[in-house]
Amino acid sequence: MYANDVKMSWEEVIEETRDFLSEEFEVDRNLILPENSLKETLDLDSLDYVDLVVLIEENLNIKITGEDFKEIVTFGDFYQLVRKKLNL
Amino acid sequence: MIVPQESINQYIPHRDPFIMIGSLVSATAERFESEFLIKENNVLVEGGRLTESGLLENIAQTCAASFGFLDREEAGEPKIGFIGAMTKVEVYELPPVNSTIRTIVVPLHQLGNIYLVKGESFREGRILLGCEMKIVVTQ
Repeated sequence: MYANDVKMSWEEVIEETRDFLSEEFEVDRNLILPENSLKETLDLDSLDYVDLVVLIEENLNIKITGEDFKEIVTFGDFYQLVRKKLNL
Repeated sequence: MIVPQESINQYIPHRDPFIMIGSLVSATAERFESEFLIKENNVLVEGGRLTESGLLENIAQTCAASFGFLDREEAGEPKIGFIGAMTKVEVYELPPVNSTIRTIVVPLHQLGNIYLVKGESFREGRILLGCEMKIVVTQ
């Protein structure tokens, strides 16, 4: 079920995002907080960003480009990007 | 066929005895296809069959040749690509010497200079191996 296909609240989008990120990257979901670093928390290398793009597309049905990631440091930045792409 | 076997080394950096692709059948941004005749003296043949490593290298070289072909089509120099990671590898069957395999690669995602591709090789319509690869292309 995609966020773009059904009317999900912003809070539901965030919770779903925390769920799939913690499951895929094997990270405690309690560490996925707006103020924490996306790269450090998920322990991302350059190849992992491709997995992240695939996950976002599969779960939220939005496309993220390399340019988009240039502005993202924290999960808060990431959530804002998702919100913008979902027009929420 | 867009690149015959005798010209394939113009599009890939690999050299004998490590060329694991024959001809490039087609290459568009959405799909690559190659053919490869497995010879008895292939360095990745064991027990009369091409090994899993050979099939995976064949998929990688199909990507390399296709990226090289597409770069040249755009009047650029072919770039060199490296296998960054392999996932979802499933081996069904190893092809025997003197058989020809057909390999199809579909780019799934691109992030900067990293491509996620799905590769599958076939013989006589049966799937031999499937996988996903992350290919890092030099900039």
